[in-house]
Amino acid sequence: MQAEAIDYIQFTTISPELIRKMSVAKLIVPDTYNEDGYPIDGGLVDQRLGVIDPGLKCKTCGARAKTCPGHFGHIELVRPVIHSEFAKTIYLLLQSTCHQCHGLLLTEGQVKDLLPVIKSYVEKEDEEGAAQAPQPQATDITIGATTEEGDRETVIKKLKSIKKCPHCQAVQRKIKLERPTSFYMDGNRMKPDEIRDWLTKISDNDLRLLGIDPTATRPESFILTALLVPPVNVRPSITLESGERSEDDLTHKLVDIMRINQRLEQDIDAGAPQIIIDDLWELLQYHVTSYFNNETPGVPVARHRSTRPLKTLAQRLKGKEGRLRYNLSGKRVNFSARTVISSDASLTINQVGIAKKIAENLTVPFYVTLWNVDAAKEMLARTEYPQVINIISKEGLRKRVTEVNRDELIKTVAPGYVLERQLINGDIALFNRQPTLHRVSIMAHIIKVLPGRTMRLHVSAAFPYNADYDGDEMNLHVPQSLEAQAEARYLMQPRDQILSPRDGKPVMFTEEDEILGAYFLTQDDAFYNKEEACMMLAAVNVNELPKPNKQGLYSGKSLFSMILPEGIDYEGKSHSGKVIIKDGELVEGEIDGTAIGIEGAHLILKIFNEYGSEETEKFILNVTKLSLLAVEKQGLTVSIRDYHTSETVNKERERIIELVEQKAKGLAQKYKEGKLEGLPGFTKKETLEMLVMAQLEEARTLAVDVLRKHFGVGNSAFLMARLKTRGNVVNAVQISLFLGQQSVRAQRPSRGYYRRVLPYFKRNDKNPEAKGFVRSCFLDGLELTDFYMHAMGSRDSSMNKSLITAVSGYLQRRLINAMQDFYIDRNLSVKDASGALIQTIYGGNGIDPMYELVEGKE
Amino acid sequence: MAKERKDFTIEPGEAVGTVAAQSIGEPGTQMVLRSFHAAGLTSVITTKGLPRVMEIVDARKKPKAPVMIVRLGKGIEKKYEKVRELWRKIEEVRVKNVLEDFDEDLKAGTMVLRLSKEKLGFYELTGRTIASRLAKSKELGIDQQDDVTIKIKYKGKTIDATRKMFVNVISSTVVGVKGILKASIQSEDDGSYYIATSGSNMEEVMKIEGVDKDRIYCNDIFEVAKVYGIEAARLAIANELESVLEEEALTVSFKHLSLVADAMTHTGEIRSIGRHGVAGEKSSVFARAAYEETVKHFTNASVFGEKDMLKGVSENILIGKQIKLGTGVVKLAVRKEDLKKIKAKEESK
Repeated sequence: MQAEAIDYIQFTTISPELIRKMSVAKLIVPDTYNEDGYPIDGGLVDQRLGVIDPGLKCKTCGARAKTCPGHFGHIELVRPVIHSEFAKTIYLLLQSTCHQCHGLLLTEGQVKDLLPVIKSYVEKEDEEGAAQAPQPQATDITIGATTEEGDRETVIKKLKSIKKCPHCQAVQRKIKLERPTSFYMDGNRMKPDEIRDWLTKISDNDLRLLGIDPTATRPESFILTALLVPPVNVRPSITLESGERSEDDLTHKLVDIMRINQRLEQDIDAGAPQIIIDDLWELLQYHVTSYFNNETPGVPVARHRSTRPLKTLAQRLKGKEGRLRYNLSGKRVNFSARTVISSDASLTINQVGIAKKIAENLTVPFYVTLWNVDAAKEMLARTEYPQVINIISKEGLRKRVTEVNRDELIKTVAPGYVLERQLINGDIALFNRQPTLHRVSIMAHIIKVLPGRTMRLHVSAAFPYNADYDGDEMNLHVPQSLEAQAEARYLMQPRDQILSPRDGKPVMFTEEDEILGAYFLTQDDAFYNKEEACMMLAAVNVNELPKPNKQGLYSGKSLFSMILPEGIDYEGKSHSGKVIIKDGELVEGEIDGTAIGIEGAHLILKIFNEYGSEETEKFILNVTKLSLLAVEKQGLTVSIRDYHTSETVNKERERIIELVEQKAKGLAQKYKEGKLEGLPGFTKKETLEMLVMAQLEEARTLAVDVLRKHFGVGNSAFLMARLKTRGNVVNAVQISLFLGQQSVRAQRPSRGYYRRVLPYFKRNDKNPEAKGFVRSCFLDGLELTDFYMHAMGSRDSSMNKSLITAVSGYLQRRLINAMQDFYIDRNLSVKDASGALIQTIYGGNGIDPMYELVEGKE
Repeated sequence: MAKERKDFTIEPGEAVGTVAAQSIGEPGTQMVLRSFHAAGLTSVITTKGLPRVMEIVDARKKPKAPVMIVRLGKGIEKKYEKVRELWRKIEEVRVKNVLEDFDEDLKAGTMVLRLSKEKLGFYELTGRTIASRLAKSKELGIDQQDDVTIKIKYKGKTIDATRKMFVNVISSTVVGVKGILKASIQSEDDGSYYIATSGSNMEEVMKIEGVDKDRIYCNDIFEVAKVYGIEAARLAIANELESVLEEEALTVSFKHLSLVADAMTHTGEIRSIGRHGVAGEKSSVFARAAYEETVKHFTNASVFGEKDMLKGVSENILIGKQIKLGTGVVKLAVRKEDLKKIKAKEESK
């Protein structure tokens, strides 16, 4: 439902007069319910403010709990009280007007120049972390001269220092604000009523000059003489299981206010001494202040009986769990589902498999028109799975379809009715995984109802969601309006999102087993007999066989060629050389990650560019199926044997360790002799650490080369690393040679015991092992000390990871908040919500970054 | 039967701001948190990774590790001797950099500096130059005893003042440009040299003869803005972001980076992304309140009687209206006459 047309929303303060006008009840009893559990008249849950008990009727509008919108009441404050949130503004007003004639302390000419400065001053004043702002240079600018940005504080200082009123010549007094709400004039406490009198006398014209719109806000409304009490449905009381009533925090606070207010009134009437009255007045001020904001600096926090701080008005709005961010910027939705996901290679990237249970529960509207009444009736008549759940009449009344009323409903259904039917194959739904970091974290999939309880996703569609199947859950949303469904279909389907808007590279490609399969399939010596070939091609819906060779066998390359789009030409690299596809035939090379995997997915990119999204969708599906069949035929085993090393390699290992340790020792020696130059900004000791660290880390790089040389083609672990299907050489190094240097905060572990990291070392041990250089490997098992070092490094990296997610999450929120309003105008310029021009032509050439690689940049 | 895609133009209405923000934010999780990095071990040290991105986007006045690359005029950039001469003019050498040790007598107001011959030699300085440099300050009594010993006399009003003065003396600049902590000569593949510095002072370095003013690089965006203007700062922001991301092997289209840069600079001054800058200066009260400092924005709005025109994304989500982005910018218009006809038709039914 769209909101009614709202042109704009203006913010004002509410004057006491308006409060009284808005109020339906003056509240006088500082209590809620009487002994019978019935609302007290004139109490805080007065029935004129609306009702929350289902049995009662609102005394103002006569409606019941669900329909009554609630009505405001008010409390008459015996003594005026300052609204703490406006104290800053009051302070500014007092400082800039004369205490005698209440005129602005400037001549009109001067004011005009200062106007923008003053306005921004009030806004800037509350900023936290003022450390950022550079102190403006105290230049001697005279008031009245044109002022520049940045001179703000100087101007305000000047304004404060005006000693004499230009209108009545009265000498100005010094005004002081003691947070949160105490004002002093020349050291004497100013009572809120004095301030109110003063503010009342400031003329509308002067206010306008200060940037305040007097029709919206008269400053005297910053001082409260009447307090608006929100309706009860804003602060509902809840009945506990024990039958006990528990009031809302706001009600508690209002009770406090009324209680003090009443006592103050009694004491004034009884002629109590001024000190007592002032104390009570102060207490009233405190309660009102914490009613508005219970986190006001300088004010003790008001607490519940259980010592929990009360959540008052400001706390309701503020922050992540506040009204704005929790309820208004993000809303709860219907027509959604969430469960665990699992993979399914037989779905296309465009599909999502959902459980029948989910399909039965989610509905989509079916609009009955002149032309589909019969279909609607048929649908309505169904009593099992794809059936109608609800029927919405022309008047918008929603009714559940039951056994009892079905026959009758079939008779009444007519154009204009809407049926809500269960989801069926071919419906569209938005699929999402959190954190929703980029736009491909929500895409529109075509529903496919499947047995089981999980949601199924094609393996290649998981990457943009950053999903895996180790228990990840994902959300599904069913767009209801036809417009939304159409937009989802035309704009949001995964096949149209294959290219990332970030850099134009494909975000959907094959991974792991599929790449391995494609490699096995396209190896030069991969041949299949007729039966195998038929089976494999049938899986990908190809009904003809390629040409067999002389032995009657079919080469893997020719099978792979069958799923390539017709007439495609491609030339690319692979781990072993070139890949050449000519006129839809794989002529040379082995397919690996470079062509169809994360390493660029150049072949997929090419197909997408030249043949479009549907062809790409088909190709990804087929390549997955075919590769999986191929990998099933051959299989691949990784075992400990793959990591066993020969004598020569072991010698190499010793050599590398010896080498880096010698170099590190050499650096230490150099340092000892004072020959080491410190890097700029670092002490010599720090420099030494950095150099030694770099030197020891070098060991791994050297070891990688050694393993590369010594592990042959038959090594499965190495094959996977080479094909970029899983794992890398560093993993292998750590398994079969040594772990290498461990690091904590990008440095060698250095803390723990007095002058040593672990008690197993001597103090000041200069050996690299004493500082986290691990010589043992996973295959042989770690030495005790090495295990500790490794654990230290692991902990550091897990902490780092969680820290960086927090930091980068906030960065993203800020970036999005700053730029979310930017859009492309008709002339390809970029504008923001206020119409400000950000770029004249988007990105300089108006090209969508999604297609940047297509442009031939590569 | 290859079909070529024809139109690569961005669609009007596209939410490019959000896309840009996501394109930079999403790889943020893959960046390192470690802030300092020695580029090439012996040359200059820069901030990198997420801390550097934050630094740029927050528009911090001074980067943690300011760096300059000073390229030299065509005639000299390949002549090592001349480059070295320039290098000597650039790197700031303070008294303490050439000091062996010193004695001070605060009561008497005397200090004896003993310079290190080795260090003097490294910077190709003599005790004489240092003495004459110090002599420029008239308050000091300079007495050069031999090439490496300088006696300084200064009697401050208090011991504290004397001490302060001596500290000043030790950290005073002898030669070079203020703020250039370290400069090193680097060579490029084509045999030409350039000078890389830690610490930056573009204005001063540009004044040195032989420096190519057109090819000087500095990673301090505010300094770029001061020296070359806002348009250069815009490009600097985008380029800096690009180089940070590049180092992490993350590819992000330059368009996204330039949009961030434009968002930060299109008003003519550098504004940060975030509550004190771009996001905090939006025209909509709701947009600001929904972002951060909710109460402050509402109270201020009521003081000034601000109106929220409900044009942006946040506001419209808040009040439950369709946002004006993407397909939401398109409106359907019907001619009045047509509307009448349609109505008449409907009524006749």
